[in-house]
Amino acid sequence: MSGSVGATMAVETLRMSVPYVCAALGGVVSERSGVVNIALDGLMLASALGGVATAIATGSAVAGVAGGVATGVLLALLHAVVVVRGRVDGIVSGVAIQLLAAAGTRFTLRALYDSASNSPSIEGFRLGPAGAGATEALARVLLDPIAWLALVAVAGVPWLLRSTRFGLRLRGAGENPEAAAAAGVNVGAVRIAAVALSGALCALGGLHLAFDQHRFESGMTGGRGFIGLAAVIVAGWRPGRAVLACLGFAALDAAQIVLQDRVAVAHELLQALPYVATLVAIAGLTRGARAPAGLGRHPDPHP
Amino acid sequence: MRRAKLRGLGAGAWPVVTALAAAVLVLDLLAWGYGEAPLATLGRAFAGTWGTPYGIGQVLFKATPLVFAGASVAFALRAGLFNIGAEGQIALASLAAALVGASLPAHTPAAVALPCVCLVATVVGGAYGAVPGVLRARFGAHEVIATLMLNRIASAIVSWSLAHGAALHGTVRTADVVAGARLTSLGTWLPAWRGSAVSLALPLAVGVCFAAFAWGRSSRAGREIAWVGLGARASAAQGVPVARRLVQAMAGAGALAGLAATSTVLGYKGYYEAGLGAGAGFAGIAVALLGRGHALGIVLAALLFGTLDQAGLSINARVPREAMDVLQAVVILVVALADVAARDAARREATT
Amino acid sequence: MPTASLRIVADGVGRRYGAVRALADASIALEPGEIHAIVGENGAGKSTLLALLAGARAPDSGTVSVGGVPLVPATPREALRRGVGLVRQHFSLFDALSVEDNAALGAELTRGFGVLDRPAVRTRLARLAERAGLDLGALGLPAGALAVGARQRLEIVRVLWRDARALLLDEPTAVLTHGEAAALYATLRSLAGEGRTVAVVTHKLDEVLAHADRVTVLRRGRVVGSWATGATSAEELTRAIMGDASLPTLLRLEPPSVAPARFTFSASEGGLDLKLEVRPGEIVGVAGVEGNGQRELVRAIAGLEGSSRATVVLDGVALSGGPAERRLAGLTVVHEDRQVDGLVLDATLGDNLVLGDLGRCDEAATIARRIRAFGIVPADPSVAVRSLSGGNQQKVVVARALDREVGAAVLAQPTRGVDLAAQRAVHAAIVEVARAGAAVVLVSADLGELRALAHRLVVLVRGKVAAELPIDVDDATLGRAMLGLEQVA
Repeated sequence: MSGSVGATMAVETLRMSVPYVCAALGGVVSERSGVVNIALDGLMLASALGGVATAIATGSAVAGVAGGVATGVLLALLHAVVVVRGRVDGIVSGVAIQLLAAAGTRFTLRALYDSASNSPSIEGFRLGPAGAGATEALARVLLDPIAWLALVAVAGVPWLLRSTRFGLRLRGAGENPEAAAAAGVNVGAVRIAAVALSGALCALGGLHLAFDQHRFESGMTGGRGFIGLAAVIVAGWRPGRAVLACLGFAALDAAQIVLQDRVAVAHELLQALPYVATLVAIAGLTRGARAPAGLGRHPDPHP
Repeated sequence: MRRAKLRGLGAGAWPVVTALAAAVLVLDLLAWGYGEAPLATLGRAFAGTWGTPYGIGQVLFKATPLVFAGASVAFALRAGLFNIGAEGQIALASLAAALVGASLPAHTPAAVALPCVCLVATVVGGAYGAVPGVLRARFGAHEVIATLMLNRIASAIVSWSLAHGAALHGTVRTADVVAGARLTSLGTWLPAWRGSAVSLALPLAVGVCFAAFAWGRSSRAGREIAWVGLGARASAAQGVPVARRLVQAMAGAGALAGLAATSTVLGYKGYYEAGLGAGAGFAGIAVALLGRGHALGIVLAALLFGTLDQAGLSINARVPREAMDVLQAVVILVVALADVAARDAARREATT
Repeated sequence: MPTASLRIVADGVGRRYGAVRALADASIALEPGEIHAIVGENGAGKSTLLALLAGARAPDSGTVSVGGVPLVPATPREALRRGVGLVRQHFSLFDALSVEDNAALGAELTRGFGVLDRPAVRTRLARLAERAGLDLGALGLPAGALAVGARQRLEIVRVLWRDARALLLDEPTAVLTHGEAAALYATLRSLAGEGRTVAVVTHKLDEVLAHADRVTVLRRGRVVGSWATGATSAEELTRAIMGDASLPTLLRLEPPSVAPARFTFSASEGGLDLKLEVRPGEIVGVAGVEGNGQRELVRAIAGLEGSSRATVVLDGVALSGGPAERRLAGLTVVHEDRQVDGLVLDATLGDNLVLGDLGRCDEAATIARRIRAFGIVPADPSVAVRSLSGGNQQKVVVARALDREVGAAVLAQPTRGVDLAAQRAVHAAIVEVARAGAAVVLVSADLGELRALAHRLVVLVRGKVAAELPIDVDDATLGRAMLGLEQVA
């Protein structure tokens, strides 16, 4: 009995960590380049609808993934251009992008499917075995192509930052944009590329949610992007630690689902648990963590 | 001197004008994309808002919580803090005000009931607002993250309360507040507005907004809050109690947001229900940015967004009202962009 | 190493910042193989001239040419592409990045597809580090962990990494000890010996005469003259730098009273290990190479958050709490970075004059008195303090600190970067509070200032009192003390 609970929890943790991990990696990439990005949740949401709508229109799940990623990249590019070229405060633009995504998805849902709550169903990828056991569930989680992509991102983002020219320039732009520019780096271009990549990563998170539910639901991200952002901060802007923090949050989520009919704690309060944990974490941990020194600093391009 | 002032006003107005133009353009595009005639949609939007006395009343009604929320965000912004948490502050304060208002003795006179309920909204909103202030001042936790999380926690607390005894059995609404705690509808005195939900909360909102800004300009704490916002390190080194001022700024912002309960619970429904007043907190961010740190600016910006909200309802039959929420985002972006451009232009002028 | 020679010439260049003319009609020629020093007072235009030569700023008038070709566009990237590298005083390292990443950033060695070639980077770095005198043991550290001298070397490595044929350095020795500075010049000499063009902005004449080949003097934005160092003298250069400005009048100091100490400070943690006692009316000068605990000392006395714990006693009372409480007890502090710790730049002059005093004074009268007493220009309390000149900004800070009942005053670099008139006003105010019986601690990098004002000198080395010296001590002894070579007297 307890073994099966443990197994279910582990599988659920893995499944539920995917959106958090994608959002957090997106946050790391954007913020390490120096661009504040509090719109991770909106990027996920918009991409989820973009993916589902493309999948419905084309009947192809693969095209759906492409459509979702394209949506995330485009919306992130809007944020990037407004912040980097327009030199608007990243938080202000982030709030606007978040609103735009929330309202835009509801508008589009009404416009395309005449529904206030959800899209029609999509097939998505159904690669795993059917069945209710933990083994079948694990197989389904592991056979999800979007989870594979997320796994690639988990390995790829730290490698990108550490071992490539783009990653080095990205870190330089986030640490000291003036010096990076003086060293011949096109800081604006690097940052815009980083934010676009952040949009693609968030898109994976949104797509995972939508393809897991086999449809788009209004507000379906439920604040996961914000938790991903919190993971970034708790992890001190380091990708590996951010992934670990996300696994922790996902475990909380999984515990809530597994325990909710066993423990006499109201599920409304359990739902708040990750947010409370985040609050405690940022109060306890941010003193040690160091943000990129150039975060949110956009030097005048014409001295 | 006078000329310079006038030009300053012009520079301040230019981002607003640009934003309005952009909003109209985007609305046209959305309507057109939806297969509706843009001009006709604009016409319908106008007719449903400023076209009839009822429409005007509804615009004012929708603008009222936005004045509170906008003042809230602007208040914290003076200290350099982003209050993204007005949403949660409003929800908790509204719930508390409704519960207290309903538990008063049935014939409590308005002179007692109203101040009492307003005080509850202020204190609950203020206390919840103070939390991110304390986290920021004591632990260095960024207030944007903290308020985002607190919004989620507030909504969990509200759902839990409604599910566990705060709501009438089988519903998601609280009991009615006593008659003495209700704010009178303005339609009582202005027959043309009868039927619209605009209430005494509107003059209260405008008064509170102006009073908050006057306090910020003239009181010691208010001025020091602004100095902390402009230069926290220098303020600390020169003996300004920075931590206390940060907490005060956030608590004040929370209190202002909490008072939005007057327009929804006391002036409109007479009770709290799940989702009442939702969205006003985020809209307050747009109002504060558009209002440019002036009380009058906040009121005018709230009117604009109230108009958008009401216009959404009047076009809803043909174009989804969510179009208007999209416009909110567009307005924020365009104002912010135009602001930077105007600042650059001013600086170029100053250096030549 | 490509060392084809590169002659850099500025011809009649000028540059304004807003209403301020930083440089006018300046001409200079930097020759390959030479170390060319550019000297002048604060605000004379040295750094601006260097920035124009390196493409960091574009001239408003005149032309800069590199190797005979005009530097167009005038950007750091273009200058770097042409072989001109600028080593700035601040802001040019990536503190969180490793030394390796710092060196390579912007000119990376890759294995194709944008993947860094770490082994190649390390090999090249090791070679350049040796040439620039950077300790090879430091290569794995983040740049933020390096000491100032090593940071300076890393800056040079970064420039050499790009095969720069000209190195322009802005006050490279400002924060170095005498020995470190000499070693740096030895490195520069060997680089010049390979045919590179080297220019150094400095205000230390002894360095110029000892190490440079040519010296160009700037005064108030104009080139006064240019000499071969062998054909000039310290006296001639001093005259050229100062112009005919009369030397500051000597302030007549009264001897300190023989009363017991009014102010005492002691600390033994957080990088500080010292005890300081100041009698009423006494001015104690704190000397030392920058970065030897001066900052920590002042912050601990002020009681700023995050500063080291220390015991501060004024008039027999141990002070606790933060800056507000200590100010009420009669302790007043001027921090060295006025723009960060002293002023809220975007608030008004009036607001800044009563920053922290609100509710404890008659505001309008206090503002008017402080403006008048220090001759702050403009005298309009409603202007933004950002728009004031550096000298007037400093007067605001000092006026607020000293125009009150002062039991003890601690002033760090009170006249750094201000003009002569402001300097006199500040010095007069310091002497005035001492006369009135305050205990004064004066922390300054300007030995002339310390000699003019202090009764005795305390030399800080690594947070400890390395020596206590009379003010008429000779330069050699003081210099040795600042390097930690002199025993406590």
